[in-house]
Amino acid sequence: MEKLYVNEIRPGGEVSTVGLFYSRAEAKTIIAKLQSIPEKADCRYEIVEAAAALPSTNPPKQKREAANE
Amino acid sequence: MADPVLASMVRAQGMENARHYMAATPKVQAYRDSWVKLAPYRDGPVNPQRLDVSDPAEMAQRVKAKALELGATMVGICRLQPHMIDLGEDVPHEFVIVACVAEDYEKVIHGANAVEEEAMRTYAKCTEIATELGAYVRNLGYPARAHHNGGSEVQAIPIFYQVGFGELGRHGSLINEKYGASFRPGFVTTDLPLAEDQPREFGVQDFCMNCNVCQLNCPGDAIPKEHVMTHGIKRWIIDLEKCYPYSRLRDEYCHLCVDVCPYNVKSHPETYKAFMKERKQVGYKTPKSW
Repeated sequence: MEKLYVNEIRPGGEVSTVGLFYSRAEAKTIIAKLQSIPEKADCRYEIVEAAAALPSTNPPKQKREAANE
Repeated sequence: MADPVLASMVRAQGMENARHYMAATPKVQAYRDSWVKLAPYRDGPVNPQRLDVSDPAEMAQRVKAKALELGATMVGICRLQPHMIDLGEDVPHEFVIVACVAEDYEKVIHGANAVEEEAMRTYAKCTEIATELGAYVRNLGYPARAHHNGGSEVQAIPIFYQVGFGELGRHGSLINEKYGASFRPGFVTTDLPLAEDQPREFGVQDFCMNCNVCQLNCPGDAIPKEHVMTHGIKRWIIDLEKCYPYSRLRDEYCHLCVDVCPYNVKSHPETYKAFMKERKQVGYKTPKSW
């Protein structure tokens, strides 16, 4: 699944993350809804690909199962 | 199914619905039915004889006392702001009252079925409280609408924050200093003049930066290490694609991120320590100080 952040960029340059979305269509729908709000008329929006997930730091399943036996 | 991520995962697995929703026990199903039955009573006729409110602080105390009498654990009030309303919805009210019911921590730590039942019990109770409280306010002569699992147009977390229940934690839920994130809400929006509560910060966001216990105990590895900023507030955005296989696509609920949070220690010190000792024995991380 694609993972995309939507960022809101305010006129002063402040960047605020709206959320994490799982398709470009969903991200664009949210942006359209936000752009329809009069108070946000001056804001810009960008879609940014989320960084690939880092490897897990949790104990592997086998280790947990072994400890459980 | 309203959640597009869940819907697409269910489709990809060739399922008709998430297993979590199909596998409800009779008790859980009864709780779910209760909010469906109360949905038509979210709104209703307003008493034409309006009570004059000269002291919003006194009225806020009265409303809070009523919510506590109905069974709420915590009650808060704030002005309803645009970011608290679902995108595309219109809620024509000035204030929002939030009534929360705490989950019984002694119950939720006993596995997924226990969590499911306790979560649904508290949601059902919140639905009752919000419905009754809405009717109470309308009887005072002011419009009021209940928001709960049977229908809602408001966003929980910004309201929790604004009324001072706590701060956003790493696991994506708001953390209260006494109940952790183990509580569920019901809401009433209204024009009844009420004194507002204020946000209250007590170091949760800084604590979460160093704690990581929820992240390291998540069976789906769905809680991120890194945060993003939204209007000056740190948010650790949960990866739903990783969370849902554990919390929605199975027969049972997952609640571990909430259960392992050290903020539970205040309300249940012995139970929390015993629970975390068991987790440690099977290879999971416990708070640094132990």
